[in-house]
Amino acid sequence: MDAEGTATLTTVHPWAWWGWAIGLGIAVSGTTNPLLLALIATAMVVVVMLRRSDAPWARSVRAYLLLALFVIVMRVFFRIVFGGGTGDTVLFTLPSIPLPDWAAGIQLGGAVTAEALASTLYEAFRLAVMLLCVGAANALANPRQALRSVPAALYEASTAVVIALSLTPQLIESIARVRRARRLRGDSTTSLRALGTIALPVLADAIDRSLALAAGMESRGFARTRGLPVKGTLPVMLVSASLATMGVFLLLSTSYWQLASVLLIVGVLGCGLGLRAAGGRLRVTRYRPQPWRGTDTLVALSGALAAALVLGLGWLDPDSLGPAALALLDPQALFPSTDPLVWPTVTAPMLLVVALALAPLPLTRRRRVATVESTRNDTRVRLLRPGAVPAPRAEPTWR
Amino acid sequence: MTGSGRQRISWAVVVALVTGTIAFGWPLVLRPESGMRPEQAPIVFALVLPLVLAVMLSEVVDGRMDARTLAMLGVLAAVGTLLRPLSAGTAGFELVFFLMILAGRVYGAGFGLALGAITLFTSALITTGVGPWLPYQMLAAGFVGLFAGLLPPASGRAEIWLLAGYGIVSAFAYGWVMDFAFWPFGVGNDTGISFDPALGPLQNLHRFVLYNIATSMGWNLGRALTNAVLIVLVGPALLRLLRRSARPAEFTPGFEPSQQGPERTE
Repeated sequence: MDAEGTATLTTVHPWAWWGWAIGLGIAVSGTTNPLLLALIATAMVVVVMLRRSDAPWARSVRAYLLLALFVIVMRVFFRIVFGGGTGDTVLFTLPSIPLPDWAAGIQLGGAVTAEALASTLYEAFRLAVMLLCVGAANALANPRQALRSVPAALYEASTAVVIALSLTPQLIESIARVRRARRLRGDSTTSLRALGTIALPVLADAIDRSLALAAGMESRGFARTRGLPVKGTLPVMLVSASLATMGVFLLLSTSYWQLASVLLIVGVLGCGLGLRAAGGRLRVTRYRPQPWRGTDTLVALSGALAAALVLGLGWLDPDSLGPAALALLDPQALFPSTDPLVWPTVTAPMLLVVALALAPLPLTRRRRVATVESTRNDTRVRLLRPGAVPAPRAEPTWR
Repeated sequence: MTGSGRQRISWAVVVALVTGTIAFGWPLVLRPESGMRPEQAPIVFALVLPLVLAVMLSEVVDGRMDARTLAMLGVLAAVGTLLRPLSAGTAGFELVFFLMILAGRVYGAGFGLALGAITLFTSALITTGVGPWLPYQMLAAGFVGLFAGLLPPASGRAEIWLLAGYGIVSAFAYGWVMDFAFWPFGVGNDTGISFDPALGPLQNLHRFVLYNIATSMGWNLGRALTNAVLIVLVGPALLRLLRRSARPAEFTPGFEPSQQGPERTE
């Protein structure tokens, strides 16, 4: 395979990773089965470990794992302190504290049951895995490339984001410069006033920098490449956004989910089309746009399929299924009972979901680690000599 | 131009306000007969809010800002991005909001809105804070900047006190709406201080007040005090600095407001 082909296999479009992760997140939201959740989480961590780059954002999974752990601990803590819940299997009893009248209906302490604790743990675990989905997308997708693929209608907003991201390191350097200048003037006090003598020069420096940047942008023709706004896009976008909002409102407050979903889909599509049309006024070209290939579609599709599978499974009515189908699909396994406590089971469709979570592994290729050998490595030259003995690979033999 | 005295609020901002109200206030809207579980509601909104944010930003930022305003937006967002990890977490000591308030005051409501949303976005990219809460944070911080630009005119010390008071109010408002939207995420279901769709809105509000006092009162208070103290200490100098650079942006002394609004000089 040539170098270019390898590049397309290793760099997946950032929005494809987001599609995969959001799909898995939706799938996770449709189940509380801890075994399935653990399998999906493991699959995601494996994909991240094998497919992430060595960029700084790729190390963020750890932070998300800690956050997920924090969520679980907090929830269990609240459950134990604020009590409530069902079940008869009392694990231990905390002393109950009487509360004043304005806090009526709330119980502090009391009996802690295994059923209540298990139900809290299931819910918390689901939320933790959903957080992990976001973390996985964050680690796998390159945010700079994702920003370059936003609709053209957001061109200027994304320019501001890029300016902000690239200026942050320069500001740190600016702080160091101002502090050094302070020390050279013999001013080394550390008080609240000193904060002002550092912060204000840094801000003044930043504002001067922005004026210089604006001059540079204008001299290169920025803001001269846009035409008049396309007529009618703004009303379309506003109406679509309102429709989507109304759809969510109906979805939450009534049982008309069909009407709500239609409104939601129409609104989302309308917003997308409106943003696309609004970008038409911009007459700029893109430098090396990231192509969207078949692999990207498949990666995003695997997430969407996982979501459809879990939601569809939860949709099935157990009473209308035959005994064979019930044994195979078993929709109730998605929400294992916690009162009475039963051991959760894994069914065949769940394994399919886990396989879909792992689908990016065969679809993509491991990112090649760039090992730069020394430029003075002449092993290959010496191997060309007649009668040369190949050097052992482990130790680079150069001198 | 955003620096001029008269404020123009576009329809996109109005739609975003309405959507935001429903998105943040969903615990008052959710009914048990809808079949949605409490944890799913913020997720559904987290998928819709980015679209609303995109429409709003494309209307407020794109095609309205010249290179100078855009560069200023980027630079101030960079300052906020730098300040956020410095202040992450420790007892509500949040340094990002006072900058949005002051910049929204000087450059106008639209600028404040864009600055709030973009600062939270870029700092989330740097501090690994991307998640379902990010669209909510962007919208809430954008509104903090928006309303800072809509405050009544004042000058001198009165202006500083006005902004400091707004800093306190906005800090509490930000904390409350974020806690309200992510209420089931914090405590889970069916504890004594959890959201319960079967109860009425009033009962739920009562529970929320108890939950908020129990968990995040200290954080909101810390954020409010940080805002007020910073605005009183750094505010006067920073306002001068921002106004000095805002003034030459209007370098067309005799522009006539046409019926479409102010025109760009070519």
